[in-house]
Formats: sequence, C-alpha cells, structure tokens
Amino acid sequence: MFRWKKLGRVFDPETVDGRTWLKQFAQAPSIVVFDAFVRVYFSTRPLPDERGQYCSYSGYVDLDRGNLMSVLRVSEDPVLPLGESGAFDEFGTYPISVLPDGKDFVAYYAGWTRCESVPFNVGIGMARSTNGGVSFEKVGKGPVLPYSVDEPFILSGPKIRRFGDMWQLWYIAGSKWIIADGKPEPVYHIRMACSDDGIHWIKQNRNLIPTRIEENEAQASPDVIFKNGRYHMFFCYRYSTSYRGKEHGYRIGYASSDDMYHWDRDDSKAGIDISDEGWDSEMVAYPHVFELDGETYMLYLGNQVGKHGFGLAKLEGTL
Amino acid sequence: MSGLKWRKLGQIFDPIQFTLPNECGEFAQSPQALVFDQYVRVYFSSRRRDPDYPGKYLSHICFADFDKSMTQVLRVSDAPVIPLGKLGCFDEHGIFPMNVLRHDGKIYGYTSGWTRRVSVSVDTGIGLAFSHDDGLTFEKIGDGPILSASLNEPFLVGDPFVQVYNGVFHMWYIFGTEWRTFSNDQPPDRIYKIGHATSRDGITWIKEEARQLVADRLGDESQALPTVIEAQGRYHMLFCFRESHNFRKAKDRGYRLGYAYSDDLSTWTRADEKIGIEVSVSGWDSEMLCYPHVFECDGRVYLLYNGNEFGRRGFGIAVLE
Repeated sequence: MFRWKKLGRVFDPETVDGRTWLKQFAQAPSIVVFDAFVRVYFSTRPLPDERGQYCSYSGYVDLDRGNLMSVLRVSEDPVLPLGESGAFDEFGTYPISVLPDGKDFVAYYAGWTRCESVPFNVGIGMARSTNGGVSFEKVGKGPVLPYSVDEPFILSGPKIRRFGDMWQLWYIAGSKWIIADGKPEPVYHIRMACSDDGIHWIKQNRNLIPTRIEENEAQASPDVIFKNGRYHMFFCYRYSTSYRGKEHGYRIGYASSDDMYHWDRDDSKAGIDISDEGWDSEMVAYPHVFELDGETYMLYLGNQVGKHGFGLAKLEGTL
Repeated sequence: MSGLKWRKLGQIFDPIQFTLPNECGEFAQSPQALVFDQYVRVYFSSRRRDPDYPGKYLSHICFADFDKSMTQVLRVSDAPVIPLGKLGCFDEHGIFPMNVLRHDGKIYGYTSGWTRRVSVSVDTGIGLAFSHDDGLTFEKIGDGPILSASLNEPFLVGDPFVQVYNGVFHMWYIFGTEWRTFSNDQPPDRIYKIGHATSRDGITWIKEEARQLVADRLGDESQALPTVIEAQGRYHMLFCFRESHNFRKAKDRGYRLGYAYSDDLSTWTRADEKIGIEVSVSGWDSEMLCYPHVFECDGRVYLLYNGNEFGRRGFGIAVLE
C-alpha cells in the first residue's frame, strides 16, 4: 500500500513575465536530475490567436534539488522550434520526454498539426541536445514513429525509458474520432514500442491498459518506473465526452507489470485523487514519477489539464 | 542503348460518357491495369464534389473493363470499389491512385490516401487493401497506412507502384521534401521526389528513407507516379515530372513524362530523351502528359496515361513498338 502526500503547486505559468511563448499552461512535466537542481520540462502556450487557436511550446524550470518547491530559473526560450510548413509539428510540440544519452540528451516529443475534418493530428518526433538540455535539434523533419495500419492517427504522449539494453517508448495511439455535441473528440489508448537504437521502433500493436470507466475512455501520460522488482505505471484517464469539468475529467490510474509488456490495472491503488478545493479540485492528470535522494515523487497537473501549472506529491509507503 | 518508341492509340476513356458510382463525373486519373483472360480492368480515380466543402473534391476509385485490343469499353464499375477512410484517417478525402498487383493468387491494392490540412492543402499516405472478388471490391487491412511520413520523409508519402522481382516486393513511391511559398499571394506548393522501399510480404516495408532515386532535370522539379517494367534484362521506369509552381496554367511548366533505367534496381540513370513519347500537336494530350502506367498484355507492352488538365477528360493508351 502506498499513497501520495500532496506538497502543493510547484509552478504557476501565469507568474512568469517576459516570455511571449509562456503565458498559459504548464503541461506534462517530466524531469532530468542535475547535481544541484532538477530540471522539469513542460509544455506551455502563448495566448491564443484571433481565432482562439493555440500553439504549444516546450520549455523547462529548474527546481532546487534541496527544496523542490523552489524554482531557481525558467528557460528563456522554448527548447524546440515549431516545424516548418506542412510538417507534423508545425503548430505544437507537446508533450516532451527527455533522457540522458552519454553526454547528450535525447528528447521524444509530440508534434501537432491542424486538419480540416478533425481539429488536429499528432505524431511523435525525436530531437537531441548537445548543450546540456537547454535546446534540442530535431533528428529529422518528420516523425520517428510513423502512423501504421493499426495506429491511424494521434500518436502522442511519448515517455522514453531505457530498462536494460533496449529503448522503450510508451505512448498513446488514437483509435477513432467520435462526434460529441457536434464536435469530433478523439479516443486514444496506451501503447508501447521497443528499439535497439532509439530510431527504429517495433510496435507492440496492442492496447496495454484495458479501459475501465467506459469503452471510449481516453488514456494518457503512461509513466513507468521500476521499483522493488516490478514495473509501475501511473497514467491518467478520462471520459470521452464532457471531460473538461470535474465529473468526467482526468483522474490518475495505476497498473503494474513483471515484464513491462503485460499490465494489471488497479486504479484503487493509485493513491492520489482530486482535492476538496484548490488548484487540483476538479482533475488530476499527467503524472510523472521519479526517485530523488531516497524519496519518490510525483509531478502532476490539476484543473484544466495544467492551465494553472503543476504540483508535487511525495510517496508514503512503498511501490 | 536505343530509345523506346511508343505508338499512340489515342484517348480510350472519357468519364463523362459513362455513369460512375459515388456520383463521380469528371476526371479519370492515373489509370492502372489488371489483366484478365478475357479483358483488361483499368482502375482510375474519379471525383465528386464534396457536398460539405464547396470547391473541393473527393477522389474515388472506379474501373472500366476493356476488350483485349484496348479499344472497346465492356463495362464500368457500378458500385464503389473501395470506401474512403473514416473520420480523421489518412484516406478520408480521397484515394488517388490505387495500384493493383496480382501475386501468388492474391490481388493487392496499394492506395494513395488523401486527407486535408489547414496550413497546407493536403497530406497523403499509402494504404493496403485486398480483393477477394476478382477486383470488384477491395477490403482495407486497417484504418491506417502501411507507409507514411518518417524522420526524413516528412510528408506526402504516396503514389505507390509495386512489383515483385526475385521474391522481393519493390515499391516505388513519392515523398515530399518541402512545402514552399513561391509567391506571397499564393498558398504553399509541394515538392516531391521518387523513393523506394522493399518488403518480404508486401505488408511490412523498409524504406530507403529519403534517397531520391531519379536525378532532377528542372530546378524545382516535382516527380510523380513511377511505373516500372522489366524488359530484356533491364528495368525501365516511367514517371511524370513538372515545375513545382505555376504548373496548372502555364503549358510549358506542366507535367511531362520522364524516363530512367536500371540494371540492378538500385542505381537509376535518367534518360528522358529516350522515352519516345511527346505531347501531341493538338487534341486531348497536347498540353500535358502525366500519370503513366506500363503493363504487359498478350505479349505487348502498353502505356496508359493522362493528358490535359491532369486527366479531367480521361485517359489514353500507347503501345511499345
């Protein structure tokens, strides 16, 4: 048994000045640990354009390693440019997941483009940093994980890991668009691919986590940590419609596995839920779990999927 | 090497003279043949106007059956051949073209699926379907593509043409390299080149990943619809190419047919001067030649192709001499 003790909100993007690309939202946090600080990559947005449409960028905040509630600095610029005309990532880079790779850092990120019949499509790209994770260069103009017969659209939410000699990529894949209140809404589920080199991927081509609340449950943020001989996945899930409020909004789920391919879902063990009031009283979403200096932490989003930033919780008990 | 020599047999199909399924009217683009004992089935892409988006089209696959002299239309498809994709899928707004291959008792349909974008007009991907009724209808193996954008082929993967040589499936196709704004009062234009992928089963493919097979002849050249045939120990590729902007109205910037040859299926030598076919002085193919398809029937080699206006008024045929 374990539960997460909430430590409060770490970062509110609306407190940041002087960055046009960072106005609202701090979504999908994930970390890289440095000697003196913990770098939290997240995705954010400038104000919407005259038609109410957003672009998204990824940046970071550095937290004091001795006091994770203390923000040391905010990145001056986005860590990645948007894609060129017609590219899969022309209108957004969200989320991003970063791993050290020798002296470099390698990032997997979701790129967004706009479509006519549905509002968007998403693909997964790859980028590399040679300056300590301050900025990244794309490995190619196109996506590293192509759409395929069984994964026709919306490949998103990459989480890159290296357990053993292989690279593992957990992500989500869209299966259908449904019409709700006259608008298309995507349904997506958690999937996985493996690679020897981080570039050529072999997909598992199946949903890893069974749906629970409804057939069209949407799942996101498949965040995997290995602890006490097992793989633990924290993720988030929501209803397919009316999900922007408390009732049908995101909650954090949990699954465990002995081999990282086959998972037992048991959300009752997740150990975290919405608060009675405050910034995370309507939803909890996009968990990222990490170990640091003998403790285990979870970064997560609250109401409106991170519009007002992310918070931190600390593990009580053992995974 | 001596050049090819094609004798034009003229236009053989005009879509507005027939009733086609899916309310299709004008356009019979990218004709592709499937040879039967008694007739030749020619698949093509026709268009209907999109009721939801004025001024835009939906491309559908139809076919016409010809007698073996390739002059008489025996029938046209009276039902949809393959459905367009579901909401949000790569082939939601059109299938154009479809390359059909009979191999090992199966009929493969390799589709080029179209979906519309906002900042640029479209993207494409390559799908696979099988026919279990001698090519009347095709069933997709899934909602998604078998070949689509990748690290170095960032968009516009389409125009598949597949042949099996020595037990290996070869696909020639095109990939986009750039959407370029040539003038600020015009939307971006696409530039694309011919690439190559191989497969053991025709389903799972390994791309050469952005290796342009055929050298450019024009400065900003776009290359489309490769078609390959083996003859006398050599592989011959026909394709079409054009300038990448102002190509719709300027007659001398539109599609022409190009030619390349290879002895090893890897290195291709471009030799347009040896293709042996040109635009006509007048008539249906006097301004443009595009979307070539080469096939063999009863010991003769034929070339199906479109003429003016990208095939608005159908296709014609030539025979190799």
